[in-house]
Amino acid sequence: MADRGGQRGGDRGGFGRGFGRGGRGDRGGRRGGRRGGRQQEEEKWVPVTKLGRLVKEGRINKIEEIYLHSLPVKEHQIVEQLVPGLKDEVMKITPVQKQTRAGQRTRFKAFVVVGDCDGHVGLGVKCAKEVATAIRGAIILAKLSVVPVRRGYWGNKIGQPHTVPCKVTGKCGSVTVRMVPAPRGSGIVAARVPKKVLQFAGIDDVFTSSRGSTKTLGNFVKATFDCLMKTYGFLTPEFWTETKYVKTPFQEFTDLLAKPTKGLLIDAPTETVEA
Amino acid sequence: MAAAAGGGAVRALSQKEQDIQMMLAADVHLGTKNCDFQMERYVFKRRTDGIYIINLGKTWEKLQLAARVIVAIENPQDIIVQSARPYGQRAVLKFAQYTGAHAIAGRHTPGTFTNQLQTSFSEPRLLILTDPRTDHQPIKESALGNIPTIAFCDTDSPMRYVDIGIPANNKGRNSIGCLFWLLARMVLQMRGTILPGHKWEVMVDLFFYRDPEEAKEQEEEAAAAPDFAAITDYQGAEQWGAEQWTSDVAVPPVAPTGADWGAAPAPVPTGDGWDQAGAPVPADGVVPPVAAPTGWDQAAQPTAQGWE
Repeated sequence: MADRGGQRGGDRGGFGRGFGRGGRGDRGGRRGGRRGGRQQEEEKWVPVTKLGRLVKEGRINKIEEIYLHSLPVKEHQIVEQLVPGLKDEVMKITPVQKQTRAGQRTRFKAFVVVGDCDGHVGLGVKCAKEVATAIRGAIILAKLSVVPVRRGYWGNKIGQPHTVPCKVTGKCGSVTVRMVPAPRGSGIVAARVPKKVLQFAGIDDVFTSSRGSTKTLGNFVKATFDCLMKTYGFLTPEFWTETKYVKTPFQEFTDLLAKPTKGLLIDAPTETVEA
Repeated sequence: MAAAAGGGAVRALSQKEQDIQMMLAADVHLGTKNCDFQMERYVFKRRTDGIYIINLGKTWEKLQLAARVIVAIENPQDIIVQSARPYGQRAVLKFAQYTGAHAIAGRHTPGTFTNQLQTSFSEPRLLILTDPRTDHQPIKESALGNIPTIAFCDTDSPMRYVDIGIPANNKGRNSIGCLFWLLARMVLQMRGTILPGHKWEVMVDLFFYRDPEEAKEQEEEAAAAPDFAAITDYQGAEQWGAEQWTSDVAVPPVAPTGADWGAAPAPVPTGDGWDQAGAPVPADGVVPPVAAPTGWDQAAQPTAQGWE
Protein backbone atom coordinates (compact mmCIF):
# COMPACT_ATOMS: atom_id res chain seq x y z
CA MET A 1 0.00 0.00 0.00
CA ALA A 2 2.72 2.36 0.96
CA ASP A 3 4.63 1.54 -2.20
CA ARG A 4 1.63 2.05 -4.39
CA GLY A 5 0.98 5.26 -2.58
CA GLY A 6 4.52 6.30 -3.22
CA GLN A 7 4.19 5.44 -6.87
CA ARG A 8 1.01 7.38 -7.20
CA GLY A 9 2.65 10.33 -5.60
CA GLY A 10 5.48 9.95 -8.03
CA ASP A 11 3.05 9.79 -10.94
CA ARG A 12 1.37 12.93 -9.83
CA GLY A 13 4.68 14.62 -9.50
CA GLY A 14 5.48 13.55 -13.00
CA PHE A 15 2.15 14.72 -14.30
CA GLY A 16 2.59 18.20 -13.00
CA ARG A 17 6.13 18.07 -14.04
CA GLY A 18 6.75 21.68 -14.63
CA PHE A 19 5.72 22.55 -11.12
CA GLY A 20 7.16 19.54 -9.40
CA ARG A 21 10.62 20.43 -10.53
CA GLY A 22 10.54 24.17 -10.36
CA GLY A 23 8.60 23.99 -7.16
CA ARG A 24 11.10 26.19 -5.45
CA GLY A 25 9.57 29.28 -6.74
CA ASP A 26 10.01 31.57 -9.64
CA ARG A 27 9.04 29.23 -12.40
CA GLY A 28 5.64 29.56 -13.92
CA GLY A 29 5.04 33.24 -14.38
CA ARG A 30 1.51 33.01 -15.58
CA ARG A 31 0.74 36.48 -16.72
CA GLY A 32 -2.76 37.79 -16.76
CA GLY A 33 -4.65 34.52 -16.86
CA ARG A 34 -5.44 32.39 -19.82
CA ARG A 35 -7.21 33.83 -22.82
CA GLY A 36 -8.27 30.69 -24.43
CA GLY A 37 -11.72 29.73 -25.46
CA ARG A 38 -13.12 31.11 -22.24
CA GLN A 39 -13.79 34.64 -23.37
CA GLN A 40 -17.53 34.70 -22.88
CA GLU A 41 -17.41 33.90 -19.19
CA GLU A 42 -14.85 36.56 -18.55
CA GLU A 43 -16.54 39.33 -20.51
CA LYS A 44 -20.00 39.31 -19.02
CA TRP A 45 -19.80 40.13 -15.37
CA VAL A 46 -23.15 40.39 -13.62
CA PRO A 47 -22.51 41.92 -10.23
CA VAL A 48 -24.16 40.28 -7.26
CA THR A 49 -23.18 42.65 -4.49
CA LYS A 50 -24.07 46.30 -4.07
CA LEU A 51 -20.43 47.26 -4.29
CA GLY A 52 -20.11 45.31 -7.52
CA ARG A 53 -22.98 47.18 -9.05
CA LEU A 54 -21.52 50.54 -8.12
CA VAL A 55 -18.13 49.65 -9.54
CA LYS A 56 -19.60 48.37 -12.77
CA GLU A 57 -21.61 51.55 -13.21
CA GLY A 58 -18.45 53.51 -12.70
CA ARG A 59 -19.57 55.34 -9.58
CA ILE A 60 -16.49 54.18 -7.74
CA ASN A 61 -13.27 54.97 -9.54
CA LYS A 62 -10.52 54.27 -7.10
CA ILE A 63 -10.01 51.35 -4.86
CA GLU A 64 -9.06 53.80 -2.11
CA GLU A 65 -12.72 54.68 -1.72
CA ILE A 66 -13.38 51.10 -0.77
CA TYR A 67 -10.49 51.04 1.68
CA LEU A 68 -11.71 54.23 3.32
CA HIS A 69 -14.94 52.63 4.43
CA SER A 70 -13.55 49.14 5.10
CA LEU A 71 -16.04 47.56 2.75
CA PRO A 72 -15.65 43.84 2.21
CA VAL A 73 -14.85 42.97 -1.39
CA LYS A 74 -16.55 39.80 -2.52
CA GLU A 75 -16.16 39.88 -6.30
CA HIS A 76 -12.74 39.80 -7.87
CA GLN A 77 -13.91 41.68 -10.93
CA ILE A 78 -14.20 44.76 -8.73
CA VAL A 79 -10.48 44.73 -8.14
CA GLU A 80 -9.73 43.95 -11.78
CA GLN A 81 -11.65 46.98 -12.85
CA LEU A 82 -10.29 49.38 -10.26
CA VAL A 83 -6.65 48.33 -10.36
CA PRO A 84 -5.91 47.83 -14.03
CA GLY A 85 -2.21 46.96 -14.03
CA LEU A 86 -2.40 43.83 -11.92
CA LYS A 87 0.19 41.17 -12.60
CA ASP A 88 0.24 37.80 -10.98
CA GLU A 89 2.87 35.27 -10.22
CA VAL A 90 2.67 31.75 -8.94
CA MET A 91 5.09 31.40 -6.07
CA LYS A 92 4.78 27.72 -5.49
CA ILE A 93 2.70 24.67 -6.15
CA THR A 94 2.99 22.05 -3.46
CA PRO A 95 1.28 18.70 -3.56
CA VAL A 96 -0.40 17.94 -0.25
CA GLN A 97 -1.77 14.56 0.59
CA LYS A 98 -4.42 13.07 2.77
CA GLN A 99 -4.49 9.42 3.67
CA THR A 100 -7.53 7.36 2.75
CA ARG A 101 -7.93 3.59 3.00
CA ALA A 102 -7.47 3.39 -0.75
CA GLY A 103 -4.15 5.19 -0.80
CA GLN A 104 -3.37 8.86 -0.67
CA ARG A 105 -5.56 11.63 -1.97
CA THR A 106 -3.33 14.31 -3.44
CA ARG A 107 -4.31 17.88 -3.96
CA PHE A 108 -2.31 20.86 -5.13
CA LYS A 109 -1.86 23.99 -3.15
CA ALA A 110 -1.04 27.13 -5.11
CA PHE A 111 0.41 30.34 -3.72
CA VAL A 112 -0.14 33.34 -5.94
CA VAL A 113 0.99 36.89 -5.44
CA VAL A 114 -0.73 39.66 -7.31
CA GLY A 115 0.26 43.29 -7.57
CA ASP A 116 0.58 46.39 -9.67
CA CYS A 117 4.13 47.36 -8.59
CA ASP A 118 2.72 50.64 -7.35
CA GLY A 119 1.29 50.25 -3.89
CA HIS A 120 -1.18 47.35 -4.09
CA VAL A 121 -0.48 43.69 -3.32
CA GLY A 122 -2.57 40.64 -2.80
CA LEU A 123 -1.86 37.10 -1.73
CA GLY A 124 -3.98 34.08 -2.53
CA VAL A 125 -3.71 30.48 -1.41
CA LYS A 126 -5.90 27.80 -2.90
CA CYS A 127 -5.92 24.04 -2.77
CA ALA A 128 -7.61 22.00 -5.48
CA LYS A 129 -7.47 18.63 -7.16
CA GLU A 130 -5.98 19.98 -10.35
CA VAL A 131 -3.12 22.37 -10.70
CA ALA A 132 -4.86 24.68 -13.12
CA THR A 133 -7.94 24.98 -10.93
CA ALA A 134 -5.78 25.72 -7.94
CA ILE A 135 -3.92 28.45 -9.73
CA ARG A 136 -7.08 30.03 -11.04
CA GLY A 137 -8.70 29.97 -7.65
CA ALA A 138 -5.61 31.38 -6.01
CA ILE A 139 -5.50 34.27 -8.45
CA ILE A 140 -9.09 35.13 -7.63
CA LEU A 141 -8.44 34.98 -3.91
CA ALA A 142 -5.34 37.07 -4.31
CA LYS A 143 -7.30 39.75 -6.10
CA LEU A 144 -9.89 39.76 -3.34
CA SER A 145 -7.21 40.33 -0.75
CA VAL A 146 -5.51 43.32 -2.36
CA VAL A 147 -4.32 45.82 0.24
CA PRO A 148 -2.67 49.22 -0.02
CA VAL A 149 1.00 49.55 0.88
CA ARG A 150 2.33 52.70 2.40
CA ARG A 151 5.66 53.92 1.17
CA GLY A 152 7.85 56.60 2.64
CA TYR A 153 11.31 58.08 2.61
CA TRP A 154 14.50 57.11 4.29
CA GLY A 155 15.43 60.76 4.76
CA ASN A 156 15.12 63.94 2.60
CA LYS A 157 11.76 63.91 0.94
CA ILE A 158 12.90 64.31 -2.60
CA GLY A 159 11.16 62.60 -5.47
CA GLN A 160 8.66 59.82 -4.94
CA PRO A 161 8.48 57.58 -1.86
CA HIS A 162 10.66 54.58 -2.37
CA THR A 163 10.89 52.65 0.87
CA VAL A 164 8.87 51.63 3.89
CA PRO A 165 7.81 54.59 6.09
CA CYS A 166 9.11 53.03 9.29
CA LYS A 167 10.36 49.76 10.71
CA VAL A 168 7.54 47.24 10.54
CA THR A 169 7.36 43.57 11.30
CA GLY A 170 4.93 40.85 10.35
CA LYS A 171 4.46 37.38 11.72
CA CYS A 172 2.87 34.19 10.56
CA GLY A 173 3.47 30.88 12.25
CA SER A 174 7.05 30.94 13.43
CA VAL A 175 8.27 33.25 10.69
CA THR A 176 8.77 36.92 11.48
CA VAL A 177 9.79 39.34 8.78
CA ARG A 178 11.13 42.73 9.66
CA MET A 179 11.40 45.55 7.13
CA VAL A 180 13.66 48.51 7.71
CA PRO A 181 13.76 51.69 5.61
CA ALA A 182 16.76 51.87 3.28
CA PRO A 183 18.38 54.74 1.34
CA ARG A 184 17.74 55.10 -2.34
CA GLY A 185 19.62 52.74 -4.53
CA SER A 186 19.92 49.95 -1.99
CA GLY A 187 17.43 47.81 -3.79
CA ILE A 188 15.39 45.12 -2.08
CA VAL A 189 17.70 43.31 0.29
CA ALA A 190 15.74 40.16 0.96
CA ALA A 191 15.47 36.50 0.20
CA ARG A 192 14.04 35.34 -3.09
CA VAL A 193 10.53 34.85 -1.81
CA PRO A 194 9.84 38.14 0.00
CA LYS A 195 11.75 39.97 -2.75
CA LYS A 196 9.08 38.93 -5.22
CA VAL A 197 6.30 40.15 -2.97
CA LEU A 198 8.04 43.46 -2.33
CA GLN A 199 8.62 44.01 -6.02
CA PHE A 200 4.92 43.55 -6.64
CA ALA A 201 4.20 46.02 -3.87
CA GLY A 202 6.23 48.72 -5.53
CA ILE A 203 8.85 49.12 -2.85
CA ASP A 204 12.22 49.96 -4.34
CA ASP A 205 14.57 49.92 -1.40
CA VAL A 206 14.33 48.06 1.87
CA PHE A 207 16.43 46.08 4.30
CA THR A 208 14.84 42.96 5.66
CA SER A 209 15.54 40.54 8.40
CA SER A 210 13.71 37.30 9.01
CA ARG A 211 13.52 34.74 11.71
CA GLY A 212 11.90 31.38 12.15
CA SER A 213 11.43 28.55 9.73
CA THR A 214 11.51 30.51 6.50
CA LYS A 215 11.65 27.22 4.62
CA THR A 216 7.90 27.03 4.92
CA LEU A 217 7.11 29.21 1.98
CA GLY A 218 3.48 29.59 2.96
CA ASN A 219 4.28 31.21 6.27
CA PHE A 220 7.15 33.23 4.87
CA VAL A 221 5.03 34.78 2.19
CA LYS A 222 2.14 35.39 4.57
CA ALA A 223 4.48 37.05 7.04
CA THR A 224 5.75 39.54 4.46
CA PHE A 225 2.19 40.21 3.38
CA ASP A 226 1.19 40.83 6.97
CA CYS A 227 4.16 43.16 7.31
CA LEU A 228 3.06 45.15 4.28
CA MET A 229 -0.49 45.41 5.58
CA LYS A 230 0.83 46.98 8.75
CA THR A 231 2.48 49.88 6.92
CA TYR A 232 -0.87 51.66 6.86
CA GLY A 233 -1.71 50.60 10.36
CA PHE A 234 1.12 52.59 11.90
CA LEU A 235 0.04 55.90 13.41
CA THR A 236 2.36 58.73 12.39
CA PRO A 237 1.91 62.47 12.97
CA GLU A 238 0.35 62.93 9.52
CA PHE A 239 -2.72 61.11 10.83
CA TRP A 240 -3.10 63.26 13.92
CA THR A 241 -5.62 65.60 12.28
CA GLU A 242 -9.29 64.85 12.89
CA THR A 243 -10.93 62.65 10.32
CA LYS A 244 -13.47 64.27 8.06
CA TYR A 245 -16.16 61.69 7.68
CA VAL A 246 -17.41 61.01 4.21
CA LYS A 247 -20.67 59.31 3.29
CA THR A 248 -20.36 55.66 2.49
CA PRO A 249 -21.00 54.82 -1.16
CA PHE A 250 -24.05 52.84 -0.10
CA GLN A 251 -25.58 55.97 1.33
CA GLU A 252 -24.44 58.28 -1.44
CA PHE A 253 -25.77 56.13 -4.22
CA THR A 254 -28.77 54.78 -2.41
CA ASP A 255 -31.13 55.84 -5.21
CA LEU A 256 -29.12 53.99 -7.79
CA LEU A 257 -28.94 50.89 -5.64
CA ALA A 258 -32.67 50.96 -4.98
CA LYS A 259 -33.39 50.29 -8.62
CA PRO A 260 -34.10 46.63 -9.22
CA THR A 261 -31.67 44.64 -11.29
CA LYS A 262 -33.36 42.93 -14.19
CA GLY A 263 -32.32 39.94 -16.19
CA LEU A 264 -30.14 38.62 -13.42
CA LEU A 265 -31.97 35.34 -13.18
CA ILE A 266 -32.02 34.59 -16.89
CA ASP A 267 -28.39 33.93 -17.60
CA ALA A 268 -26.47 33.15 -14.48
CA PRO A 269 -22.97 32.05 -15.32
CA THR A 270 -22.10 31.71 -11.65
CA GLU A 271 -23.41 29.01 -9.41
CA THR A 272 -26.09 29.88 -6.92
CA VAL A 273 -26.79 28.20 -3.64
CA GLU A 274 -30.41 27.65 -2.72
CA ALA A 275 -30.85 28.97 0.75
CA MET B 1 -43.18 61.49 43.57
CA ALA B 2 -46.48 60.31 45.04
CA ALA B 3 -47.84 63.82 44.90
CA ALA B 4 -46.76 64.13 41.31
CA ALA B 5 -48.45 60.84 40.49
CA GLY B 6 -51.66 62.04 42.10
CA GLY B 7 -51.31 65.42 40.38
CA GLY B 8 -50.67 63.62 37.07
CA ALA B 9 -54.16 62.27 37.13
CA VAL B 10 -55.56 65.80 37.24
CA ARG B 11 -53.57 67.46 34.43
CA ALA B 12 -53.13 65.80 31.02
CA LEU B 13 -50.13 63.50 30.65
CA SER B 14 -47.47 64.37 28.12
CA GLN B 15 -46.80 62.02 25.25
CA LYS B 16 -43.73 60.67 26.98
CA GLU B 17 -45.62 60.03 30.20
CA GLN B 18 -48.43 58.28 28.37
CA ASP B 19 -45.94 56.07 26.61
CA ILE B 20 -44.25 55.20 29.86
CA GLN B 21 -47.59 54.36 31.39
CA MET B 22 -48.23 52.01 28.51
CA MET B 23 -44.82 50.44 28.93
CA LEU B 24 -45.48 49.86 32.62
CA ALA B 25 -48.73 48.16 31.78
CA ALA B 26 -46.91 45.90 29.33
CA ASP B 27 -44.21 44.99 31.87
CA VAL B 28 -41.43 46.51 29.79
CA HIS B 29 -39.65 47.60 32.94
CA LEU B 30 -39.15 44.12 34.33
CA GLY B 31 -35.71 42.71 33.67
CA THR B 32 -34.24 39.41 34.71
CA LYS B 33 -32.44 38.16 37.75
CA ASN B 34 -29.02 38.75 36.19
CA CYS B 35 -27.50 41.96 35.00
CA ASP B 36 -24.87 42.39 32.32
CA PHE B 37 -22.29 44.99 33.33
CA GLN B 38 -22.99 47.10 30.27
CA MET B 39 -26.68 47.23 31.09
CA GLU B 40 -26.09 48.48 34.61
CA ARG B 41 -26.47 52.09 33.52
CA TYR B 42 -30.07 51.47 32.47
CA VAL B 43 -31.12 49.65 35.61
CA PHE B 44 -33.03 51.56 38.25
CA LYS B 45 -32.98 49.13 41.11
CA ARG B 46 -33.04 45.49 42.06
CA ARG B 47 -36.27 44.24 43.57
CA THR B 48 -36.39 42.17 46.73
CA ASP B 49 -37.20 39.06 44.74
CA GLY B 50 -34.08 39.57 42.64
CA ILE B 51 -35.51 41.05 39.46
CA TYR B 52 -33.81 44.16 38.08
CA ILE B 53 -36.07 47.08 37.22
CA ILE B 54 -35.24 49.02 34.08
CA ASN B 55 -35.42 52.80 34.04
CA LEU B 56 -38.15 53.48 31.49
CA GLY B 57 -37.15 57.08 31.01
CA LYS B 58 -33.90 55.85 29.52
CA THR B 59 -35.76 53.29 27.47
CA TRP B 60 -37.83 56.05 25.96
CA GLU B 61 -34.72 58.09 25.17
CA LYS B 62 -33.06 55.14 23.47
CA LEU B 63 -36.22 54.50 21.48
CA GLN B 64 -36.06 58.08 20.24
CA LEU B 65 -32.44 57.64 19.27
CA ALA B 66 -33.19 54.44 17.41
CA ALA B 67 -36.09 56.12 15.62
CA ARG B 68 -33.80 58.91 14.48
CA VAL B 69 -31.35 56.41 13.05
CA ILE B 70 -34.14 54.58 11.25
CA VAL B 71 -35.44 57.78 9.76
CA ALA B 72 -31.96 58.70 8.56
CA ILE B 73 -31.89 55.74 6.18
CA GLU B 74 -33.16 57.11 2.89
CA ASN B 75 -34.50 53.88 1.50
CA PRO B 76 -36.58 52.07 4.13
CA GLN B 77 -36.32 48.82 2.17
CA ASP B 78 -32.68 48.63 3.27
CA ILE B 79 -33.71 48.07 6.87
CA ILE B 80 -34.15 44.55 8.10
CA VAL B 81 -36.19 43.79 11.22
CA GLN B 82 -35.74 40.36 12.61
CA SER B 83 -37.08 38.03 15.27
CA ALA B 84 -36.43 34.37 15.80
CA ARG B 85 -38.67 34.22 18.83
CA PRO B 86 -42.36 33.56 18.17
CA TYR B 87 -43.40 36.39 20.53
CA GLY B 88 -41.73 38.93 18.35
CA GLN B 89 -42.66 37.65 14.91
CA ARG B 90 -46.03 39.33 14.57
CA ALA B 91 -44.66 42.60 15.93
CA VAL B 92 -41.78 42.51 13.49
CA LEU B 93 -44.07 41.90 10.53
CA LYS B 94 -46.42 44.69 11.49
CA PHE B 95 -43.53 47.06 12.08
CA ALA B 96 -42.18 46.30 8.64
CA GLN B 97 -45.61 46.84 7.14
CA TYR B 98 -46.04 50.30 8.63
CA THR B 99 -42.51 51.61 8.18
CA GLY B 100 -41.65 50.05 4.83
CA ALA B 101 -38.83 47.89 6.13
CA HIS B 102 -38.12 44.25 5.42
CA ALA B 103 -39.08 41.59 7.97
CA ILE B 104 -37.50 38.23 8.67
CA ALA B 105 -39.53 36.11 11.05
CA GLY B 106 -38.28 32.75 12.18
CA ARG B 107 -34.95 31.15 11.45
CA HIS B 108 -32.14 33.28 10.08
CA THR B 109 -30.34 31.24 7.44
CA PRO B 110 -26.63 31.66 8.10
CA GLY B 111 -24.98 33.47 5.24
CA THR B 112 -27.83 35.74 4.24
CA PHE B 113 -25.63 38.76 4.82
CA THR B 114 -22.30 37.25 3.82
CA ASN B 115 -22.77 34.62 1.12
CA GLN B 116 -23.24 36.48 -2.12
CA LEU B 117 -24.13 33.28 -3.98
CA GLN B 118 -27.20 32.57 -1.87
CA THR B 119 -30.57 33.42 -3.32
CA SER B 120 -31.63 35.13 -0.12
CA PHE B 121 -28.51 37.30 -0.07
CA SER B 122 -29.20 40.84 1.02
CA GLU B 123 -27.06 43.75 2.13
CA PRO B 124 -29.08 45.86 4.52
CA ARG B 125 -28.02 49.26 5.83
CA LEU B 126 -29.52 48.68 9.27
CA LEU B 127 -30.56 45.73 11.36
CA ILE B 128 -33.16 45.70 14.13
CA LEU B 129 -33.39 42.71 16.43
CA THR B 130 -35.58 41.64 19.30
CA ASP B 131 -33.00 39.71 21.31
CA PRO B 132 -29.21 39.66 20.94
CA ARG B 133 -29.04 36.24 22.50
CA THR B 134 -31.49 34.34 20.32
CA ASP B 135 -30.63 36.43 17.25
CA HIS B 136 -26.88 36.06 17.69
CA GLN B 137 -26.32 34.75 14.15
CA PRO B 138 -27.46 37.93 12.36
CA ILE B 139 -25.32 39.94 14.78
CA LYS B 140 -22.22 37.98 13.84
CA GLU B 141 -22.90 38.40 10.16
CA SER B 142 -23.66 42.08 10.35
CA ALA B 143 -20.30 42.57 12.04
CA LEU B 144 -18.66 41.14 8.94
CA GLY B 145 -20.68 43.31 6.61
CA ASN B 146 -20.41 46.75 8.25
CA ILE B 147 -24.10 46.77 9.19
CA PRO B 148 -25.12 48.85 12.25
CA THR B 149 -27.33 46.97 14.66
CA ILE B 150 -30.15 48.07 16.94
CA ALA B 151 -31.48 45.59 19.46
CA PHE B 152 -33.87 45.39 22.38
CA CYS B 153 -31.63 44.28 25.22
CA ASP B 154 -32.76 42.78 28.47
CA THR B 155 -30.69 43.22 31.62
CA ASP B 156 -28.77 40.03 30.90
CA SER B 157 -28.30 40.45 27.15
CA PRO B 158 -24.79 40.41 25.67
CA MET B 159 -24.05 43.75 24.04
CA ARG B 160 -21.26 42.66 21.75
CA TYR B 161 -21.62 44.17 18.26
CA VAL B 162 -24.88 45.83 19.23
CA ASP B 163 -24.59 49.50 18.34
CA ILE B 164 -27.77 50.85 19.87
CA GLY B 165 -29.17 48.81 22.73
CA ILE B 166 -32.65 49.67 23.92
CA PRO B 167 -33.04 48.48 27.50
CA ALA B 168 -36.31 46.62 27.78
CA ASN B 169 -37.97 43.37 28.61
CA ASN B 170 -37.71 41.18 25.54
CA LYS B 171 -39.26 38.11 27.09
CA GLY B 172 -42.90 39.06 27.50
CA ARG B 173 -45.30 39.03 24.58
CA ASN B 174 -46.99 42.31 25.44
CA SER B 175 -43.68 43.95 26.05
CA ILE B 176 -42.23 43.22 22.63
CA GLY B 177 -45.41 44.27 20.89
CA CYS B 178 -45.59 47.50 22.83
CA LEU B 179 -41.99 48.39 22.03
CA PHE B 180 -42.32 47.83 18.32
CA TRP B 181 -45.56 49.78 18.30
CA LEU B 182 -43.87 52.70 20.03
CA LEU B 183 -40.89 52.56 17.73
CA ALA B 184 -43.09 52.46 14.65
CA ARG B 185 -45.10 55.40 15.87
CA MET B 186 -41.99 57.40 16.62
CA VAL B 187 -40.57 56.70 13.18
CA LEU B 188 -43.81 57.74 11.47
CA GLN B 189 -44.00 60.88 13.58
CA MET B 190 -40.45 61.85 12.70
CA ARG B 191 -41.10 61.24 9.04
CA GLY B 192 -44.19 63.43 9.27
CA THR B 193 -46.69 60.76 8.32
CA ILE B 194 -48.45 61.15 11.66
CA LEU B 195 -48.89 64.46 13.43
CA PRO B 196 -47.41 64.40 16.93
CA GLY B 197 -50.49 65.50 18.82
CA HIS B 198 -52.86 62.95 17.44
CA LYS B 199 -53.35 59.39 18.49
CA TRP B 200 -52.19 56.76 16.03
CA GLU B 201 -55.23 54.87 14.80
CA VAL B 202 -53.38 51.56 14.74
CA MET B 203 -53.81 49.73 18.04
CA VAL B 204 -51.06 48.27 20.17
CA ASP B 205 -52.90 44.97 20.22
CA LEU B 206 -52.12 44.57 16.56
CA PHE B 207 -48.48 44.02 17.46
CA PHE B 208 -49.08 41.45 20.19
CA TYR B 209 -48.42 37.83 19.58
CA ARG B 210 -51.48 35.62 19.24
CA ASP B 211 -51.45 31.92 20.01
CA PRO B 212 -52.83 29.91 17.12
CA GLU B 213 -55.58 28.47 19.35
CA GLU B 214 -56.48 31.90 20.58
CA ALA B 215 -56.64 33.18 17.05
CA LYS B 216 -58.97 30.39 15.99
CA GLU B 217 -61.21 30.96 19.02
CA GLN B 218 -61.63 34.62 18.22
CA GLU B 219 -62.56 33.94 14.65
CA GLU B 220 -65.04 31.29 15.64
CA GLU B 221 -66.64 33.74 18.02
CA ALA B 222 -66.83 36.26 15.26
CA ALA B 223 -68.48 33.67 13.01
CA ALA B 224 -71.03 32.68 15.66
CA ALA B 225 -72.29 36.17 16.47
CA PRO B 226 -73.89 37.27 13.20
CA ASP B 227 -75.62 33.94 12.58
CA PHE B 228 -79.16 34.92 13.48
CA ALA B 229 -78.93 38.18 11.64
CA ALA B 230 -77.96 36.33 8.48
CA ILE B 231 -80.98 34.05 8.54
CA THR B 232 -83.42 36.92 8.37
CA ASP B 233 -81.73 38.56 5.44
CA TYR B 234 -80.52 35.56 3.53
CA GLN B 235 -80.87 36.77 -0.05
CA GLY B 236 -79.09 39.99 0.57
CA ALA B 237 -76.41 38.00 2.35
CA GLU B 238 -75.70 35.95 -0.79
CA GLN B 239 -74.92 39.06 -2.75
CA TRP B 240 -72.85 40.41 0.05
CA GLY B 241 -70.90 37.22 0.21
CA ALA B 242 -69.90 37.38 -3.44
CA GLU B 243 -69.11 41.06 -3.43
CA GLN B 244 -67.12 41.15 -0.33
CA TRP B 245 -65.05 38.13 -1.13
CA THR B 246 -64.03 39.19 -4.59
CA SER B 247 -62.93 42.62 -3.56
CA ASP B 248 -60.87 42.06 -0.52
CA VAL B 249 -59.74 38.64 0.47
CA ALA B 250 -56.53 40.00 1.86
CA VAL B 251 -57.94 42.93 3.78
CA PRO B 252 -58.16 42.38 7.49
CA PRO B 253 -61.76 42.34 8.71
CA VAL B 254 -63.32 45.52 9.99
CA ALA B 255 -63.93 46.23 13.60
CA PRO B 256 -63.34 49.92 13.87
CA THR B 257 -64.31 50.28 17.47
CA GLY B 258 -62.40 47.16 18.31
CA ALA B 259 -64.37 46.67 21.49
CA ASP B 260 -64.65 42.90 21.73
CA TRP B 261 -62.82 41.91 18.66
CA GLY B 262 -59.67 43.53 19.84
CA ALA B 263 -57.40 40.99 18.31
CA ALA B 264 -59.75 39.79 15.59
CA PRO B 265 -59.08 42.61 13.14
CA ALA B 266 -55.66 41.37 12.29
CA PRO B 267 -55.49 37.83 11.07
CA VAL B 268 -52.25 35.94 10.82
CA PRO B 269 -50.08 38.43 9.00
CA THR B 270 -49.10 36.33 6.03
CA GLY B 271 -52.71 36.29 4.91
CA ASP B 272 -52.72 32.55 4.51
CA GLY B 273 -54.32 32.16 7.90
CA TRP B 274 -57.09 34.42 6.81
CA ASP B 275 -57.73 32.39 3.70
CA GLN B 276 -57.91 29.18 5.65
CA ALA B 277 -60.04 30.63 8.38
CA GLY B 278 -62.25 32.50 5.98
CA ALA B 279 -62.74 29.92 3.26
CA PRO B 280 -65.07 27.60 5.13
CA VAL B 281 -67.25 30.50 6.19
CA PRO B 282 -68.84 31.49 2.88
CA ALA B 283 -69.19 27.84 2.10
CA ASP B 284 -71.65 27.69 4.94
CA GLY B 285 -73.66 30.34 3.27
CA VAL B 286 -73.15 32.71 6.14
CA VAL B 287 -71.97 36.13 5.19
CA PRO B 288 -68.40 36.62 6.44
CA PRO B 289 -68.31 37.69 10.04
CA VAL B 290 -66.36 40.73 9.03
CA ALA B 291 -68.93 43.43 9.47
CA ALA B 292 -70.80 41.53 12.14
CA PRO B 293 -70.88 43.96 15.04
CA THR B 294 -72.00 46.92 13.03
CA GLY B 295 -74.73 45.21 11.11
CA TRP B 296 -75.54 44.65 7.46
CA ASP B 297 -75.81 48.23 6.41
CA GLN B 298 -74.23 49.73 3.38
CA ALA B 299 -72.05 51.46 5.91
CA ALA B 300 -70.23 48.22 6.55
CA GLN B 301 -68.90 47.92 3.02
CA PRO B 302 -67.30 51.36 2.69
CA THR B 303 -65.69 51.10 6.10
CA ALA B 304 -64.14 47.80 5.05
CA GLN B 305 -62.56 49.51 2.10
CA GLY B 306 -61.58 52.48 4.18
CA TRP B 307 -59.59 50.15 6.36
CA GLU B 308 -57.79 48.87 3.29
